[in-house]
Amino acid sequence: MPRDAATLADILADARVWKLTDASAAPARPVWSTGCSSLDARLPGGGWPTASLIEVLLDQTGVGEVQLFLPALVACQRGRGVSDEGPWLIWIAPPYEPYAPALAQQGIELGRLLVVRPAGATEALWAAEQALGSGVCAAVLLWLKGTDDRWLRRLKLAAESGGALAVLFRPERHRFESSPASLRLLMTHGEHEPRLDLLKVQGGRPGPVDWHGP
Amino acid sequence: MPAAGAVPAAPEASGISGMPAAGAVPAAPEASARSDMPMAVAVDAQLKTAAGAAPTSQTAGARARHLWYAVVFPGLADGAESTTALRRLCLYAQQFTSLVSIEPPNALLLEIKGSLKLFGALERLHAGIDDCWRHLGLPARSVTAPTTLAALWLARDLRPHDGTPLCLEDLGALSGRLARVPIACTAWDDARLQTLRAMGVTRIGELLRLPRAGVARRFGKATLQDLDIALARQFAPRRAFVPRERFRARCDFEREIENAAYLEKALEPLIARCAQFLRQRQAGVQALRLTLRHREAPATSVHLGLASITSDPRRLTDVMAQKLTRLELAGPVLRVELLSGPLQPLSAASIDAFAGLTRACGARGSRDTAPQLLERLRARLGEEAVYGVVPIADHRPEAAWRRVHELRPMPASIAQHAMPRPVWLLDAPLPLAGGLILQEGPERIESGWWDGKGVARDYYVARRAPDAPVAPSIRRQSRAANSHGAKLWVFQERQSKRWYLHGVFA
Repeated sequence: MPRDAATLADILADARVWKLTDASAAPARPVWSTGCSSLDARLPGGGWPTASLIEVLLDQTGVGEVQLFLPALVACQRGRGVSDEGPWLIWIAPPYEPYAPALAQQGIELGRLLVVRPAGATEALWAAEQALGSGVCAAVLLWLKGTDDRWLRRLKLAAESGGALAVLFRPERHRFESSPASLRLLMTHGEHEPRLDLLKVQGGRPGPVDWHGP
Repeated sequence: MPAAGAVPAAPEASGISGMPAAGAVPAAPEASARSDMPMAVAVDAQLKTAAGAAPTSQTAGARARHLWYAVVFPGLADGAESTTALRRLCLYAQQFTSLVSIEPPNALLLEIKGSLKLFGALERLHAGIDDCWRHLGLPARSVTAPTTLAALWLARDLRPHDGTPLCLEDLGALSGRLARVPIACTAWDDARLQTLRAMGVTRIGELLRLPRAGVARRFGKATLQDLDIALARQFAPRRAFVPRERFRARCDFEREIENAAYLEKALEPLIARCAQFLRQRQAGVQALRLTLRHREAPATSVHLGLASITSDPRRLTDVMAQKLTRLELAGPVLRVELLSGPLQPLSAASIDAFAGLTRACGARGSRDTAPQLLERLRARLGEEAVYGVVPIADHRPEAAWRRVHELRPMPASIAQHAMPRPVWLLDAPLPLAGGLILQEGPERIESGWWDGKGVARDYYVARRAPDAPVAPSIRRQSRAANSHGAKLWVFQERQSKRWYLHGVFA
């Protein structure tokens, strides 16, 4: 004779029952708020995930892609600075010169910002892997023209071991390639203001985001 | 304290590493019993005499408080070269004792009483030091005696092929042994020696028989003082040799090395030596130079830059490995030379004992520190490729920042601007053909007339009009300039009325 039918609460309390909502709502890694509530609401955990790879696809420079991450960069620089060995930000192969007065204006601590200008893409990826794996950096931003899937996996592994916020900016033409990134965004300039689309969200739902540009 | 340099210290632990097999033997019970006397007391008593108290008369048969090992290198001629050679020999001698003193032109004095407990019997230590010179292929004559000058004079008197090494421990036997030494061994000036010989004095013993007052009057206080020092009636402070503040070492390979990976392996002992050298001096370096010598090709010089002062062999090896993997060898390597930059004191701030603890929550035990990461990046990508940016208080946008290669936390001096500044700044302003939609501005910047790079501009935040024509030259140079969605930072030069792109809001 089967056991008495349990109530729904009993079934849910059973450890063998795996609940989808738990998996997406409670990530083990800390997240950094994006500074935009509508975007936070769409991301699992309510912010940019750390210790994984975020891929941003751009159709051009200047759609507010850095602005999108600046609040998180400022927060993570302040947030983890408990010891003297505070967290570093590393920008690898940015398309132009990062303008110090603008960054200082936004609240970035420039004493802990490192700009790296590698000679080629392989060097850039190597530098990113080193920076991510070192555990010294709170965030690593990398700009690349193109790269293969294998390298992205290496980056993701390095990010997982180092626990940093890893952001990769790539041209929009890589949109239809597969990517191991746990979060993929597409930024395009719309008719009047930039558009933001979530292409892939692990533990979330893809789709356009109501975002009002920089 | 006048005698500070002469205070014999107990042999430091760092001396152990380089010592010969004799050092590994535990101290003989007899030797350890002898060196039981507290060093501080001995020094105190000596200082009192040195300070001008009456010369103490030593009882016959008393054990000496100090033991000086004097070595004379007859092969070394007088001159600058011999001084350099002696300095180098001091470094060898310092594996036996921390107090090594140079006696120009060709002798060294080592205080070895303090090292006896560590090295065992005196004869053994003496022979060990002698072995050191023999390994170097240097003819040397050495004597151990209770006083500096006695040891030195006896060593000068020693014939090249005397059998057993001369080790005098007994103060009582000292004057008898010294009496037979010719006065030429004192290395006094010729005039003094001539006068003494004219008086019929050829040996120290004959001089000692002369009345003190007379000797002092005829030959000066210095002569008497030397005799007193030699006979342990007076203490003579010696200045200890402080090694040169550079590390320089070379390594000749038995066979030529063609592969950079092998080279890295072969260099490890050299790096280890360098690290040990630094550790012994509580110092660190920020730069090293590695020179690879080839048979035919000119030597390759590799600069190893470090992000902060360090003596950590792991970090040194790390940087070296990165440099070597990127290196194209001009030919097989015969020899390598490693030269450190100037030594700098290792401050407490640069030792990072708890850095691992603060991040101990991470999965891996040994994490890098920021300087390590910086070094690794710089070693592979080049010094110039890794930098920081700092703002400068200047109104001209291109002069309001600069690159820095010394990275340290700095107080942020945030200049408040009326208008936002773009995240990206172009290296040089790009001329624009027009077709802009101005959104914010103008912000007039007029400055720099005093240094010849004056600007007079009106800055705007703008977007490009969708249907605006774009000059081909611009299209090549900047994608951002010709796409109509990007938010741009543009300016109009006030004199020429021409438009330029200077930054991109991203």
